[in-house]
Parts: sequence; structure tokens; C-alpha cells
Amino acid sequence: MSTVPRFFPVMLVVLFLSGCGKPQHDTLVLTGSSTVAPLISDLAADFEALNPGVRVDVQSGGSSRGLADVRQGTAALGMISRELRSEESGLQAHVIARDGISLLVHARNPVTELSDEQVRRLFRGEIANWQEVTDFDARVSIVHKGEGRATLDVFLAYFALHNRDVKADLIVGENQQGIRSVAGNPGAIGYVSIGSANYEIAQGVPVKGLAIAGVAPDATAIAQGDYPLSRNLNLVTQGELGGLAADFVAYARSPQAHERIQQHFFTPVVNP
Amino acid sequence: MNLTQRDWLFTVTGGLLVCLVLLPLVAMLFDLLRLGLPVLGWEFLLTAPSNAGRSGGIAPLLISTGWILLVCLSVAVPVGLGCAVFLNEWLLPESRLSRGIGLSLDVLSGVPSIIFGLFGYQVFAITLGLGFSILSGGLALACMVLPFIVRTSQQSLAAVPAGYRQAAQALSLSQTGMLWRVVLPTASPGIAAGVVLATGRALGETAVLIFTAGYVLRQPDSVLDSGRALAVHIYDLATNVTGGTSHGAATALVLLALILIATTSVRSGAGLWSRYMLEEKR
Repeated sequence: MSTVPRFFPVMLVVLFLSGCGKPQHDTLVLTGSSTVAPLISDLAADFEALNPGVRVDVQSGGSSRGLADVRQGTAALGMISRELRSEESGLQAHVIARDGISLLVHARNPVTELSDEQVRRLFRGEIANWQEVTDFDARVSIVHKGEGRATLDVFLAYFALHNRDVKADLIVGENQQGIRSVAGNPGAIGYVSIGSANYEIAQGVPVKGLAIAGVAPDATAIAQGDYPLSRNLNLVTQGELGGLAADFVAYARSPQAHERIQQHFFTPVVNP
Repeated sequence: MNLTQRDWLFTVTGGLLVCLVLLPLVAMLFDLLRLGLPVLGWEFLLTAPSNAGRSGGIAPLLISTGWILLVCLSVAVPVGLGCAVFLNEWLLPESRLSRGIGLSLDVLSGVPSIIFGLFGYQVFAITLGLGFSILSGGLALACMVLPFIVRTSQQSLAAVPAGYRQAAQALSLSQTGMLWRVVLPTASPGIAAGVVLATGRALGETAVLIFTAGYVLRQPDSVLDSGRALAVHIYDLATNVTGGTSHGAATALVLLALILIATTSVRSGAGLWSRYMLEEKR
């Protein structure tokens, strides 16, 4: 034992750690919104395939974490599923896609448009039968989203509703579940992400989207920013955009990324 | 009510209660099998995920998960076992230090896992500069499972019959000799149970790993690379990826199988070691 120096274990650890080494690649780190992370993760894989020697590491954890990491410099780009707030100064947001939310009713329901006030009254339980709104005799059934869903926040904020005022008949989680629930009940009304709604409508599920403020929920209206009930999915940077981060943002905003964006049921943004 | 009637009543109630306990497990397994079995196969285990996990397999995630678990256990088991031995063999059970350490361990085991995630992120990833990496994740997980390993090991060390120690002392075995030849082999099944518990918790953990080991789907080249664990993948497919349910269920089945394999191998490994130490090398 005396022949081995006492700090031998320390040497071993140092040797092990130095062996790990720093990666020789150009690495871009993105962190943030768990809604955006799967899409960016796919885009990152495509981007890596197009640019050999480049690594794009995508981390999840929520919009606020994305902002914090960009400020700290832990990440070059943050992903947020909302707009930057006024107090979040010094940061720049780059829109890569939009996530629209559609009010959804059964295909048999003749209504095509609801005013904001009608939506508020429906979700507060003040309208019991569709006859008060349109020529359709069916009991109103409210399909509402569960706590913590991003669509819930956007919906409540747009209609200025408090979650505790909503008289829900059914609380759902995923978009798919919401669509099935509306399809199974002629009197139901719910709201889901437009991309998945249009996907299911194309599959022949008997539901339809309603116009809000006179604008129908179709891809063109969302892409041009005319449809009011939608949110932007942004990449956020601190200061000027440059280097690898600039290339990645440009790629995510280019038409090459549109197919991926649609695969994730978001709407690509048409750049002016 | 005569005795046989009462026996019968107890048997039926007991059986019903067991069924009640097993019901959620069976229902969950049924659901997972229904959703995941069509996807499951060798190809699923051997290919990389594509399309955010909605197609392809989970090969890189198996490697990441294995490495994270390896880092976690290779830190948590020696440290935890050492702490348990110190608490049980060197300290008086009612001393102030012993009670203080015990109390902190109990508090630590009640801390929500997200706290370990944020702690690991701040300390290992940021302060120590390890970044989002398997090393950060494994170390954060080790902090989380440490109290379980210490507490279970300590209990099984305390359960070693006093006569064994007295016999060892009568043979004038040193403290270390007694520990190595008598106490640890006798306590090893209990220690293994603690390690099994820790393994299960570590494999099923998401909150800690989202913030430390990370979300990257690529196969890690070293422990300093970020890598997504199976549990994080399941969570992501279930909550954030539309159309990811079947692949999520298949991943969950693989994770269940892994936990089963890991726990049985830890148990049988401990059994073999204890038999080798106690019998063959008399």
C-alpha cells in the first residue's frame, strides 16, 4: 500500500474526466417549451443531417426555463410557446410556427359562427340548449381542457374567462380525446388545436370548426395572422443573431421546415 | 360463528383484497399491451426513433438509460452503503449525530423529485459545468435514491443477530473483518432490496432527468453528452406528441421488462455473493 500514493484515486478520477474530453463538434443548445421541443427536436435532426459536424441539442422543461437559459447563456436559443412579455426586454423572438385553436362542434350542428359573448355564455353554463343560439334542438355539453394544458390558457385568455366559472360537462386532456368527445355527442362544444382537428376532419370524423370574429379556422388565416385564437411558437435569442443559431433559425423559418411543422399539427408562418 | 366459518371469511376477504391490489396493475398492463404490442419487436429495440418518437425505435434511449443508471448506482451504492455502515457500526444508535443524520435522511427521502432535478441542474449542470449530460443526470438521481439505500441498508445491518457479532468478537476478528466476512454477507439480501428500490425509482424518474440528463434523442458518445431516458421519452410521447401513444406504450413495456430484469439480477447477485462469502470460503 505504501508504494501507491495516497492521492492515487484522485489521479484516477482526473484521468477519467480528462478522457471524456470536450466534443469536437459545433454544438448548438436549445431549451424551453415542452410543446415546441418535439418539433424542434425533429428539425434539429434534419438540420444535423444537412450540416455534417454540427450538433443541435434540444432540451425541454418549459418556456420560462428557455428564457432563463438564454439569459444565463446556457442555451443559445430558447423555445417559447407564447409571445415575449413587455418586461422580458433585451430578448428577440423569431416566430417559427403558429398553433391555432379551433372551437369544435358536431357536424350535425348547423351553427357556423359564434360571437365571443355567446362562447362565454355557453362555457359559463348560461345556455342550456342550442335552440337559444341556432335552429338545433340538443342539450349543450361543454368539453373543456384539463388544468395545465397550453390550449386551455390561450382559450381562457382570449375569451377573458376564469377557469372556475367554466361549467364543464367533460374535462379532457389530449386534443384527440377532445375531438372524439365532440364527435360522440351532437350537442357538444369543445376546443382543440386546429392542426389535429383538421387532421381528424380529413379522416371523416363528424366534427367541424367554427369561425371566431368572422374568421374561419383554416391554415391560410392562421398563417397570415388573421385568425384571432392562436399563439406564436417562437425561438428566442439574446442580442444579435449570429453563427450557428442564425443558420438554425433561418432553417426553421424556411419552407424546408414546413412539412415537419405540419407533421406536428402546427401551422407554418408565411414570411412577408 | 365457528372457527371454520371464520377461516373461510378471512380467506375470502384476503383474496378479494389481493385482487383489489392487483387490479390496477393488471388493468395498466392490459392497456399497455393493447396499445404497445403491435409496435413492439426487435426492430423497435434496435433502431433509432424518428418523427419525435412516433416512428422508429428506442435504441439510443436504452443506451442512455443504461448509462444514467450505471452512473447513479456506482455513486449511490458505495456512498449509501458506507453511510449505513458508519451509522450502524461506528455510531451509538441514540447518539445526537446518529439521530441528526437519520432525520436529515428522512427529510431527504420526502423531498419531491423535481427539487432534485432543479438542484442537479443548478449544481452539476451549471456550477460544476457538466452541462446537460448523463453524468449530471446520474449524479442528481444518486442524490435522490441515496436515502433509500442508506435507510434500507441500515435496517438490514441492524437486523443482523447480535450473536453473530459476539461470535466474531470472541474469535477476535477485527472490526473490518467482521464487517466483510459476517455482517455484510448476512445483511446483503436487505441491502439488495434497497438497491432494487433505488433502481426502480431511478428507472422510472422523469422530473429529475428532464432538467439534467436532458431530452436529446441522439445516442450518447460519452457521459458528458445529453441523452434521453426511457421514462422521459414515455412522458413526452404521452403529453407533447400527438399520435405518440402506441410508441409510448411500447416504450413503457420495455421499461417494465427492464425493471424486472434489473431487480431480479440485483437480488440474485446479492444472494450469490452472500452464499459465497458465508459458505464456500469458511
